[in-house]
Amino acid sequence: MTLGGLTRGLGPRKDGFGAPSTILGRWSSFLHAGTWPRTAWAASRRRSELGLLLVGGLVVLLATLLESLALSGALPDNSVQIIVAVIGIALFVQLVDRRLAPDADPVVMPVALVLNGIGYVMIEALDPHEAGQQLGWIAIGLVAYAVVLFALRRSRDLERYRYLLLGLALLMLVAPLLPVLGRSPADQNAYGAKLWVSFHSISFQPVEIAKLLLVLFFASYFVEKRELLTTPTRRVGDHLLPDLRAFGPVAVAWVISLLVILAERDVGFSLLLFAVFLALLWVTTGRWTYVVAGFVLFAAGAFLASHLLGQVSQRISVWLDPWAHPLGAGYQPVQGELAFGRGGLWGTGLGLGLVQQPGVLPIATSDYIFSAIGEELGLAGTTAVLVGYALLVGAGLRAALRARSEFAKLAAIGLTVTLGFQALIIMAGPTRLLPDTGMTLPFVSYGGSSLVANYILLALLMRISDEGSKASEASWRT
Amino acid sequence: MDRRIRLLALAFVACFGVLFLQLNNLQVREAKRLQHNPNEPSTAVSQWLLPRGDIIDASGQVLAYSTKYERGPGYVRHYPFGPLFADVTGAYDWTLQSNLYGIESEYNGYLVQHESTAHTLSGLLTQTEGTDSVEVTVSARLQEVAKEALAPYNRGAVVAIDPTTGAILVMYSKPSYNPNRLASANPGAVRRYYASLDPSSGSSPLVNGATDILAAPGSTFKMVTTSAIFDHDPAIATETVPVLTALPLPQSNLLLHNYAGEACGGSLAENLAVSCDTAFGHYGLQLGGENLAEEAHAFGFDRPVPIDLPSGEVAVSNFPAGSSFAANQPGLAYSAIGQENVSETALQDALVLSAIADGGTIMTPHLMAHVFDEQGRVVATYRPHAWLHATSAATADQVRQLMIGVAEHGTAAGLFPPGLTVAAKTGTAEVGNNNCSTDWLVATAPAGAGQVPRVAVAAMVPYQPGLPCDGTGAEIAGPVVAKVLDAALGYGS
Repeated sequence: MTLGGLTRGLGPRKDGFGAPSTILGRWSSFLHAGTWPRTAWAASRRRSELGLLLVGGLVVLLATLLESLALSGALPDNSVQIIVAVIGIALFVQLVDRRLAPDADPVVMPVALVLNGIGYVMIEALDPHEAGQQLGWIAIGLVAYAVVLFALRRSRDLERYRYLLLGLALLMLVAPLLPVLGRSPADQNAYGAKLWVSFHSISFQPVEIAKLLLVLFFASYFVEKRELLTTPTRRVGDHLLPDLRAFGPVAVAWVISLLVILAERDVGFSLLLFAVFLALLWVTTGRWTYVVAGFVLFAAGAFLASHLLGQVSQRISVWLDPWAHPLGAGYQPVQGELAFGRGGLWGTGLGLGLVQQPGVLPIATSDYIFSAIGEELGLAGTTAVLVGYALLVGAGLRAALRARSEFAKLAAIGLTVTLGFQALIIMAGPTRLLPDTGMTLPFVSYGGSSLVANYILLALLMRISDEGSKASEASWRT
Repeated sequence: MDRRIRLLALAFVACFGVLFLQLNNLQVREAKRLQHNPNEPSTAVSQWLLPRGDIIDASGQVLAYSTKYERGPGYVRHYPFGPLFADVTGAYDWTLQSNLYGIESEYNGYLVQHESTAHTLSGLLTQTEGTDSVEVTVSARLQEVAKEALAPYNRGAVVAIDPTTGAILVMYSKPSYNPNRLASANPGAVRRYYASLDPSSGSSPLVNGATDILAAPGSTFKMVTTSAIFDHDPAIATETVPVLTALPLPQSNLLLHNYAGEACGGSLAENLAVSCDTAFGHYGLQLGGENLAEEAHAFGFDRPVPIDLPSGEVAVSNFPAGSSFAANQPGLAYSAIGQENVSETALQDALVLSAIADGGTIMTPHLMAHVFDEQGRVVATYRPHAWLHATSAATADQVRQLMIGVAEHGTAAGLFPPGLTVAAKTGTAEVGNNNCSTDWLVATAPAGAGQVPRVAVAAMVPYQPGLPCDGTGAEIAGPVVAKVLDAALGYGS
């Protein structure tokens, strides 16, 4: 008998859509009833997920074992705790998904957790102190994942509060600039960016959450104004153009967020936001003019930024020729590239790379973790990471294709592009396809805010996927 | 809209594909080339991974040791005395961003982990790896004295040698650097510190001020001129030189003036005691260029000093070729008083003095005393040997006698403790056109009849802002030498 079948009988069956709508009511319904997989389709999806989760857990456990053998020649001191934690996380995710998103894609969470686990194993070898913190952030991230799935039962709830989302996003963007909250701590790898909000000893990068809120806002706004943005109503010369006034609010939002982000000197996020904005606009309207105009705008912006922001021009010149100053400004990219070379096809093995030596590869746990993986796990490991992100992007776009509403479709696209594009441009940094953008590799790098935000992103995608699957399942059965 | 989502998916596939191609490029196609890149840290890191032996001073105090790096594999090098022994030990920069210096470089083969020498037959069968420790001839006690003596100055160098063995007893110069910071575990910090030391400049703190900085020796060179008189034309020694304030120089209308316009002359003893420039200019002209150059060469000028330091850290002292003086008689007179194109290091001046102190022989200067293995067994011992036979014992003793007069009633009078017989010579070399001077003093003791001098000290203090322009060797360099000499012989506190 399957686990799905076992658990199905545990509580009184009740339709999830008819659950009480007050928070208290929902809570009690979560405890006593809920939406256990009701159909064979949902149950089989969750069974697949459980299988993948356990295989992924095994991969992470073996990685931990290998790393510990390499570093200390013995099993980890806390082997039991590690096994319990890995199995615990797998079961927790399985339980949350069975109850709160039974029809959602079964691949997303296992892939994200394996990426997270491999990242953690790398960080543990490179910087045990950061690894301890990362463990805490993984827990917070997973709880946030469950909370979002629990609190957000219908994606259309988000659509309704679009200006609230925008307000919150702008507030979060401005927060680091406020003297009370903001800081550019010397002990953080801030590198000239002002992104941190700290309260007591807890530091957070609100821009990570703001980026999600902005994506949701863009999606809902584009849905509402789709007609206006697409239909040409204005005649300019021989051409008909859509009413530019429709762009008003969204342009304002976009410009404000870009300005704020530039004030905080975070070039990576402005680039990311720009890409997501452009992708959504194009998917909504299908007009290539927007894409072309976007690229022109981007080129102008990049040209300006490289002249106005020293950080940007330096990063570009270092990118073009890091070997000019292999011990100076180019040290990091040079060492990042050399690490890939040392790794070769199969890598040196976990914990056995030169990147373990102090100072060989600075910030190896965040911006350059892909180089560290490249050395220790070789082309095999980097390809696995690449495939992992490809699977996540695939799942996200599949969810978009099946989404029930226009808003859910656009939101899924926006969230997927956010995740996929961030992963792409960060992997392109150490491989020297693009200049360094100074962001974290989703789920792999050390970084609490980004981890929590990415788990929330997955929760939103899972919600959309869950709804979409229900719908397609229904249409398939009728 | 769904068509566009599929196009977006295609775009992602293309991007991931490009990334995959680039990964193949870096990790397979270019891997070999990257592995042989000169910036590849394997070499540096393999150094970092190896343990390293201690450097200890003559009294057994540890000058350099390695500890296990607490945050990973590897060893961090420590120099408990900081800058005090920088000229001696050098610094072990594992990142190889700078060079190794000093003992760390010269005796690297002993200090790094290597197969230990077999002492017994069974030892041959059980070859083990180990590091050796290097004991040096300098001591922390005397180095501290030297540091304190040079405290009033920003630049300067002092060297003390045991003239009978060539063992370096003191080697300290300013400005110095902190070898701990070049041995830091953080290569970024190493890089920044190394850059801050201005390594390409000739006056960088990394330059060993005692062995690698040349300056005109001024009147301390009169030791060589005096020796040349006894070796090449002893008749001059009995001559009485007329009292002059300025000596007209041949082939020109130049005048060689005495220091501060004084008038001097008389016997060789009197002229050396008061350091009479007109008299020594006259001696130089009488000796001739070939004789004086030959003598300087015999004392080690224009030869690399075979001290056990990396050759790049030891400058060759200069005396012009003898033939060059035929057409440059004024240059000969100036060279006889250690001016014009004569230049030497503080080490070289100490070696000239040690020849006078040791019956004309210059023992090879050295810093290594012993090498021990990990079990404390002696692996190597430095066997003192002569470098040069600069002059005869008779000449050396005569010059030494004259130099006792310098310390007793000449330019170095009053510097040394009563009861100690010291042979000394001052030097106040004018540099540039502003008449500011590089100040020297050399002294060896005990120098009395029948005594064997145990230490020869040379100090050089170049002109620097904050010093009086008209300072003399006795005023500026005198106290430095006196303190080191007293401490080496156990006088004073």
